[in-house]
Amino acid sequence: MIKFAPIVWRNLLRNKLRSLLTGGAIMLAIALVCVLRTAPEGFDAFLKALAKNSRISIHNTAGIVYSMPYAYLSRVRAVPGVVDAVSWSWFGGAVDVDEGVAFPNFAVDAETIGVVFEDLGMEPAAVEHFRTHRDGALVGRMTMKRFGWQPGDEVTLTSTVYPLTLTFRISGEIPADQDPRFWLQRAYLEEALKAQGIASDQIGMIWARIDQAERVPAVMKQIDDMFRNSEAETESETEKSFFQNFFSILQGIIAVFLIVSWLVTGCIVFIAANTASMAVRERLRELAVLKAIGYRWRLLFGTLLAEATLLSTLAGASGALLSLGFTRVLGTLASTTPQMGPLSGFVVTNWILVQALFIAFFVGILSGVVPSFGAARRSVAATLREVF
Amino acid sequence: MIELRNVSRFYQRGADVVHALEQVSLEIPAGRFVALMGPSGSGKSTLLNILAGLDRPSDGQVSVAGRKLGDLSEDELAEFRASHLGFVFQFFNLIPVFSARENVELPLLLTHLNKAERRERAETALRIVGLAERAGHMPAQLSGGEQQRVAIARAIVTDPEIVVGDEPTGDLDAKNAEEVLGLLRTLKQEFGKTVVIVTHDPRAERYVDEVLLLDKGVFQGSRPGGAAAGAAPAHGAPR
Amino acid sequence: MALPLHYPLRNLAHRRLRTALTVTVIALVVIATTLFLGLVTSMRRTLATTGSPDNLIVLRKGSDNDGSSAVPLEAYQALRFFDGVAKNGKGEPLASPELVVQPFFFTEDGGRENVLVRGVEPVALEVHDEVRIAEGRMFVPSQGEAVVGRGVASRYRGVELGEELRFGRSSWKIVGVLDSDGSSFESEVWVDVRELAADAKRTIPYSGLRLKVAPGVDRDALIRRIEADSRWTLGAKPETEYYAKQAESADFLFILVVFLAVVAGFGAAFGATNTMYAAVQARIAEIGTLRALGFSRGTVMRAFVTESVALAVLGLLVGVAIAVPLAFAVSQALGGIAFGLSTFSTSVITLRISVFDVAVAALLALAIGLGGGLAPAWRAARLRPIEALRKG
Repeated sequence: MIKFAPIVWRNLLRNKLRSLLTGGAIMLAIALVCVLRTAPEGFDAFLKALAKNSRISIHNTAGIVYSMPYAYLSRVRAVPGVVDAVSWSWFGGAVDVDEGVAFPNFAVDAETIGVVFEDLGMEPAAVEHFRTHRDGALVGRMTMKRFGWQPGDEVTLTSTVYPLTLTFRISGEIPADQDPRFWLQRAYLEEALKAQGIASDQIGMIWARIDQAERVPAVMKQIDDMFRNSEAETESETEKSFFQNFFSILQGIIAVFLIVSWLVTGCIVFIAANTASMAVRERLRELAVLKAIGYRWRLLFGTLLAEATLLSTLAGASGALLSLGFTRVLGTLASTTPQMGPLSGFVVTNWILVQALFIAFFVGILSGVVPSFGAARRSVAATLREVF
Repeated sequence: MIELRNVSRFYQRGADVVHALEQVSLEIPAGRFVALMGPSGSGKSTLLNILAGLDRPSDGQVSVAGRKLGDLSEDELAEFRASHLGFVFQFFNLIPVFSARENVELPLLLTHLNKAERRERAETALRIVGLAERAGHMPAQLSGGEQQRVAIARAIVTDPEIVVGDEPTGDLDAKNAEEVLGLLRTLKQEFGKTVVIVTHDPRAERYVDEVLLLDKGVFQGSRPGGAAAGAAPAHGAPR
Repeated sequence: MALPLHYPLRNLAHRRLRTALTVTVIALVVIATTLFLGLVTSMRRTLATTGSPDNLIVLRKGSDNDGSSAVPLEAYQALRFFDGVAKNGKGEPLASPELVVQPFFFTEDGGRENVLVRGVEPVALEVHDEVRIAEGRMFVPSQGEAVVGRGVASRYRGVELGEELRFGRSSWKIVGVLDSDGSSFESEVWVDVRELAADAKRTIPYSGLRLKVAPGVDRDALIRRIEADSRWTLGAKPETEYYAKQAESADFLFILVVFLAVVAGFGAAFGATNTMYAAVQARIAEIGTLRALGFSRGTVMRAFVTESVALAVLGLLVGVAIAVPLAFAVSQALGGIAFGLSTFSTSVITLRISVFDVAVAALLALAIGLGGGLAPAWRAARLRPIEALRKG
């Protein structure tokens, strides 16, 4: 079998221009498919990573923008199974008031944030600094990079929901490339609100960490039962479910991405099929001669198929590599709109590359089958009569 | 009508230089039916290409219908061919997607005639070659002989002074070959055209006025053909 | 005089398989691009055509959306009497105080989304002139009633006219459906501002104000006056500018569309080039014959470029014929496309292929046809008449 490999390769070189054009087209199409798939894949990967931890969110059943009493926090912390819990309130601060809010920022409890979000891998020294400094702040890497901040820097934010402007000192970073969050101390916010005579006993939501994954459903039920029929009924859900719902509005767009990627995949099939049929048509005469010499049709079919598949797969590999370059460019363009969340990552995962190769391989086979089959099976006499 | 003076043609083939024609000088007066003959590789096709304006000589002068071909640009040559020459090729060379009539009309598209006039001329040409009732057929529906006759109709539809053919009977059986040769004879006899063909078909000798001989690119001289003595009928009939 | 149009067209019909395959490739590219572009233009149409240039939106300074802003009652009471604020026939200022809350709504298939509920007073209908009650009637204040936008009505559970809608901590009777020419207000639910503030337990009753500028008044001067007022920190801008800024988040998708069109366009062009080269190759003798007969190089080139463009046009027609119903089907299946991360609430967008989208697709197809066919046509043109003597 392998001894025919050089023949297959040589056949591709017969018409270099055509092979290059076909390969180029397939390469571009595969690169496109990879880029388009980063959106749904990125979203899935994001959710999958969240599924691993046992963190839950507790919020008002009416909606995230509805508040809950701060008093709920201590009651949640007392529930068996809860390792610790932290309150979470939207500060809505802007670096430049005219530009508006550039990244999500929340007021949280400094005492417990480190425990509840232990899995994020923040430096213990940074968490400790945040805990002991009222004006401390923990900032996600994406925002740090965007503004060029370093730990120790001073940052001033003007709230768009409260009549406050506060200055913070950065305690450290949240080490995740796609994390834009900015955490400030709830106590600091409370103090400032009190100075203005504004009441501050409400919070937005609570995040809690459960000790064992199996206990999560039971603990969630217990918490919700605890607050049923109070002034603010709660709904608890896992972090994965929370973000799934939060980003569910992107479903429609992701669906369009997927449809478009399938259309482009379809293109590849037809481009490859066109080329295969052209190549085969030109070689009818020599195929007839080979068969007259004694080559079995299965062998001829195999070499023709191998030719289409080889071209397609090589082109697919180049396309996959090309997509890496494309996504880098798109990623830098996208960093100006962080609101796209997990969609703006444009990360071409290894799984996407593998998918690309598979698509290319199967497209090659699919497109080569029909023309090759027909050509290999034609009777020698019929071909010679027609061609000579 | 056609005059060649010291025409030579050579070209590269790999590492060698091939001398297709060496210092050929000859004259073909108007209204003559001439055959260029010689062994394979003698340069007769090359000679035909040059006098028909399809190729340029490496050296020497070519004059056709009073014009020096060397003075004409590519586009001027194209125009020249359109108005003064008609072509008949060995493999008929009809456009497969056009009907017989449309194929014959093709050269007329280069003129200023309107649709009705073009149609009329095409039908006249087809009548001359005896294929008027097949005007609407596609080439795939015509036999080899019929296709060549359509090609001849196309060659004469603009009423050119000269008709050239490269192996016009090369792909035909005996009966059709005789018919085509007879038709070409008619073009000279009834319409006064100058007809030049390249051929190695021995049957052709009976129909032509003169045979020009070539060997290894060198003009070997001429001898009279069978038709000079009136020995061949105007329309070739099978024996 | 050149070769007739039916020469390239008949040749396309002659090589049916090759033509069909190439047309399919181009059609697929056209569908993909049109669909994606349609998504983006539908988004921009919804987000950016909202609002009136005669209205000002007043929020806390720095707030970029009226869901996360707070404007005190005293500010409203002062601003509505500012010079320059339009008045209606009865001499009442056209100033609409509004409270925006984003509670959870549930879609037909169980998805949970934040929907923009706007607490307003009846004067809101006079300030937002593009909003009309299309079915039913406007709510009566303090009666626990609500009107829903057309987009909301089609996307969520329990929002039919006459039904009891539950959100927040209360339930509201739907008495009307509002229509706003496809702008963002159709993605909202309107209720009585006082009832909403009570339900959401807001101590600051309003999130923002909408003021109609009186005709002939210098709008910028009014804005400056509002912003300079030291009693409060407010920002004011024309409504159209506010909504245009929100549409910017869709701009990024625009880049993606251009990327898609360019890359896919090149891919399809390569495919077309392949097909045309093969066509030229197969017809070398024929081309030589045409040249021998006297047709110029320009004529031959034009014939082949025409063939290539015809392929593209066929692909365009097939592509558009499929894309339009496909877009409709997708939109129906998904219950409208939702978007609006930056505003923290959902804008329901109807995916529609507009004339603009088709025009862009036509340009793309033309580029594919021309770009793809140029090189092979050039090759055909450069063939010498002598090629006519080749066996075909």
